[in-house]
Amino acid sequence: MQMYPEQIVHALINESFHSRRLFVGLFVIVNIAMLAAGLLWPKSYVASTSIIVDEKNIIEPLMKGAAVPTEMADRNRNAREVILGGRVMNQVLERGGWLANRPALEREALIEQIKARTTITPVGRDVIKIDYRDSDQDRTLLVTKAFAELFIQEMVAEKESETRSAFDFIDKQAQEYQRKLMSTEEELRQLRSSSLDARPGSDIELSARLIALNTRIENTTLELREAEMKRASLERQVNGEAEVTVLATREGQFRARIAELQAKLDTLRLSFYDTHPDVVQLKNQIQDLRAEASAQRERREKAKPSERMEPDETVVNNPVYQQLRRELLQNQLSIDALKARIADAQRLLQEEVNRGKSLHSGDARLVELTRDDQINREIYQDLLRRRERARVSVSMDSDRQGSNFKILEPARSSPSPNAPRFWQFVLGGFVLGVLIPLGLLFARLQFDPRVRLASAISERHKVPVAAIVPHLWSPGELLGLRKELTTLALIVTATLALSVTLSVGRLVGVL
Amino acid sequence: MSKIEKALKRAGDERGNLQLVPAAAAGGRAAPWTALLGQQIEPPETTSRMAENEGKLLSADELWERGIIHPEHTDEPAVQVFRELRTKIVQQSQGENAVILVASVSKGNGGSFIARNLGAAFAFDSAKTALLVDCNLGNPSVHRLLPDPSLPGLADYFENPEMDVSKIIHPVGIERFRAIATGGLRETPAEYFVSMKMRRLIDSLRERYRERFVFLDGPPMSDIADARILSELSDYVLVVARHGRATNAQIESGLNTISNKKLLGIVFNDEPRIPWIP
Repeated sequence: MQMYPEQIVHALINESFHSRRLFVGLFVIVNIAMLAAGLLWPKSYVASTSIIVDEKNIIEPLMKGAAVPTEMADRNRNAREVILGGRVMNQVLERGGWLANRPALEREALIEQIKARTTITPVGRDVIKIDYRDSDQDRTLLVTKAFAELFIQEMVAEKESETRSAFDFIDKQAQEYQRKLMSTEEELRQLRSSSLDARPGSDIELSARLIALNTRIENTTLELREAEMKRASLERQVNGEAEVTVLATREGQFRARIAELQAKLDTLRLSFYDTHPDVVQLKNQIQDLRAEASAQRERREKAKPSERMEPDETVVNNPVYQQLRRELLQNQLSIDALKARIADAQRLLQEEVNRGKSLHSGDARLVELTRDDQINREIYQDLLRRRERARVSVSMDSDRQGSNFKILEPARSSPSPNAPRFWQFVLGGFVLGVLIPLGLLFARLQFDPRVRLASAISERHKVPVAAIVPHLWSPGELLGLRKELTTLALIVTATLALSVTLSVGRLVGVL
Repeated sequence: MSKIEKALKRAGDERGNLQLVPAAAAGGRAAPWTALLGQQIEPPETTSRMAENEGKLLSADELWERGIIHPEHTDEPAVQVFRELRTKIVQQSQGENAVILVASVSKGNGGSFIARNLGAAFAFDSAKTALLVDCNLGNPSVHRLLPDPSLPGLADYFENPEMDVSKIIHPVGIERFRAIATGGLRETPAEYFVSMKMRRLIDSLRERYRERFVFLDGPPMSDIADARILSELSDYVLVVARHGRATNAQIESGLNTISNKKLLGIVFNDEPRIPWIP
């Protein structure tokens, strides 16, 4: 049901009056309950201390660049584990005055209680705040102090062992690399002594020589082919040329003249008679020439039986042929020389190739060894530097020089109990003693099926409310009401008086 | 300050609400407040006749003790509420007299209280008279108003055919206010209301005096049969729902019993009020 605030207030006032006994009864019950709670509430003192924690992993700066450190566990959880760990808790039990020789089960229960009363909160990045709550003021302070001291002690010890293990690790690594380096160097030395060729750069030289030899072979082969072609050409020419040349004889010359004239005569006879002077002249000429020729022959015939070797003046040696034969001979010589040169070069080439094969296998191993050696040397030197730094860190830790755990705020206990004060209970009783009945009445207004508001009727049943008749107080009723109100007022006053008395008693320290 | 002066002052305060009526006729004992009023208007004949049989009138304090309002209780909010309700009813009936059934939605809602006080409020007005008829046979209360509770009532009227109506109408100690109690009850009283005699009785009560308003103090509406019959006999119905007593379901079923045309509305009874605080 929709109600306006003033409607609610009015209704609540009326309802409170109507249910005044319930109201007062609840007020008294709530007040007494709160008083009882205030009296029985355990006293509680709280002490707190803050510690600066700069727990950088020692291996991180030491191994920077050389190794990736594992991620540091969550700082808060780590601190929590240390503080609430068994070692610290056992010492706290002793210092806190709880008997150490209790049975284990009881000790466990005690430890659990202490854990429950301890709060560890991270403040900012590097500060850890420890709060401890206890019923005894002195013990609260003592335990909180113990927490701070033991925590720092534990953390320093842990850090020291961490540094030590980091040093050991680096040292081990350095030794390992030293061994590797030595073995690499030894192998390198052996390889060098076994193959003298195996020098850095010999492969480049080899390839240059191979190229030169190849070029030489190619050039010589070209020259050889040229010479062979020349030889073939010379041979062809020699075959085409006669060894001797024959000169024309006198007889032959005559005969050629005769044939020539005979041809001319035949031509003339076609046009002229034999009597033509030209024909006759020609016949005479031919006659003369024949006579001449036969005279020549006879002379030669006569000479024959004399056995005198008359050199034939017509036969002479051919000079071109001679020249060609000479050149052919020279050509053959150069071909032979070239062939010999090619064979020589090929032999050399084969030698170089063989040498190169052996050189390459040795060279790859050499390169590998050299590289390993170089890397190992670098890492080894780096590790040596780091090892020295780690050594300094270890000695710093053992001298407590690099300790970065400090008590920022010494343990401090609250001067008065931290629990709600008694007067707060009393005040709470007053307030709740009014608010609870009011709340209940309001709830009844809202949820009671019985009608308590006239406006609810008209709203719900859509029927006009003809009249709202207030209660008619008869004189007798008024008299009874006066008595009742007086009684209720007395009850409320008694309750308040009780509250005040107890408060004063608490303040003075009687209670 | 003398009693008369007080009365004068009160009369002055109430003048707006009261109709001017003449002093009671000879032989009658006028109430102290009416005695001071003017004499300009001629009272109806019935009022003067009624004044002869008023009997012993009760004082304001005696009425208050019995839970009945009195015009003298000016600082009592209920008085004003009943006056306003009276005005509403008069407006609704357009000046005519009427039979009004006042019925609780369930037992204990104070229907009788409302009927009684509404009657008293009508009796404030010297131009009107009120007659309260106790129809709540299961839980009668009107007889307590009578000087003698054993006086004949409704049951006697039904049992004795010869009995005159005037024999069962009795004064209650309030001016212009009469009542009919249930009388000596027999078994099966519910049969009274269905009888023709009941209808004739109601009709005669209504018709006989035009300034008379008849209030039927009805049974709880959980008694559906009687409530329905009585609502049929009446002109208007007032449903009484008491604070912290009547549930919505009861109101719903009560409203379903009666005709919407006759319903004047719901009277929300006994709203909590802190006395001494206006």
